[in-house]
Amino acid sequence: MPYLPTAAAWLTQSSLLIQARPSTTKITTRYSHPKKKKKPSSSPDTTTTDSTTAPPKAPKPATLILKTYDPVSGTCLKYQTDRAAEVGRLVASLGRAGRIMAALPVSEDTVMGDAPAATTAAKEEATTTNAPVPEASGKPTPTAKETMGGGGGGGGKKKKGKRGK
Amino acid sequence: MLGNHLSNEDFFVQLSTLFDSRRENGHGSVFLTQKRLTTIPPAKPQGPTDVLADLRPSDPQPILVRATNGKSKASRADKTKLSTVVEPDAQEAFFSRYAEVCKAGMGALKKRDRSARKKAKAKKRKAGAEGEKRG
Repeated sequence: MPYLPTAAAWLTQSSLLIQARPSTTKITTRYSHPKKKKKPSSSPDTTTTDSTTAPPKAPKPATLILKTYDPVSGTCLKYQTDRAAEVGRLVASLGRAGRIMAALPVSEDTVMGDAPAATTAAKEEATTTNAPVPEASGKPTPTAKETMGGGGGGGGKKKKGKRGK
Repeated sequence: MLGNHLSNEDFFVQLSTLFDSRRENGHGSVFLTQKRLTTIPPAKPQGPTDVLADLRPSDPQPILVRATNGKSKASRADKTKLSTVVEPDAQEAFFSRYAEVCKAGMGALKKRDRSARKKAKAKKRKAGAEGEKRG
């Protein structure tokens, strides 16, 4: 049961699995909050106040785990996060996966692929016995990579700060 | 449970209460699943053509979305089970609403920590000022 490193990788792999086995694959989303250890007068609200000098005793954070599972082949793909900022994006991924499940056309422009995922995807294509694997393989990868690469700039200010130390 | 599906709207209302009850408890889980709705059990493969029949259905298929609080065995009485069928043409609206409900319900996840960034900025400014004095 591998945990995939990024949400994008989870989506690419899951998409491929659903394409290969559209009627048996299911996606389970687990949002869980562990039991709090008994501690006197530590309300969860105190952590959100901004004027804390000492680091707040972090309560075990809630987690969100996405799991794509196909009982026929036994394939299981998981992704775990604890950040609230990702919820919207992940549900959008669920929607994308849902479109593949429903055999609705999926728009090409939102394909999030990275190179290593694409190579493993090709492997998976080979293993799924001559299934007519649809479009979403690694074609748009190079362009995505190029756009990602342009993230430098603004170094001058930082240097100044370093010299100061 | 067959044929006991809620309408999409009722599903969201009850899913919100499911999230709320988890919040009141302070712990617990919410499980959400989705899969293609297969009304007829998949036929036993008879030939190479049948095996891959589900890969290209003639029409878009509905999907089944379920939600539970994961209670079983001892606390079976507290178990909540919700399910709804999402028709292909309703999917887009469903998932945008689904995102809203999930964002509202999953409040116990880590918020983006802005205070740390602010602190770092202040530190940097301080360090910069010292550097000017020295240099």
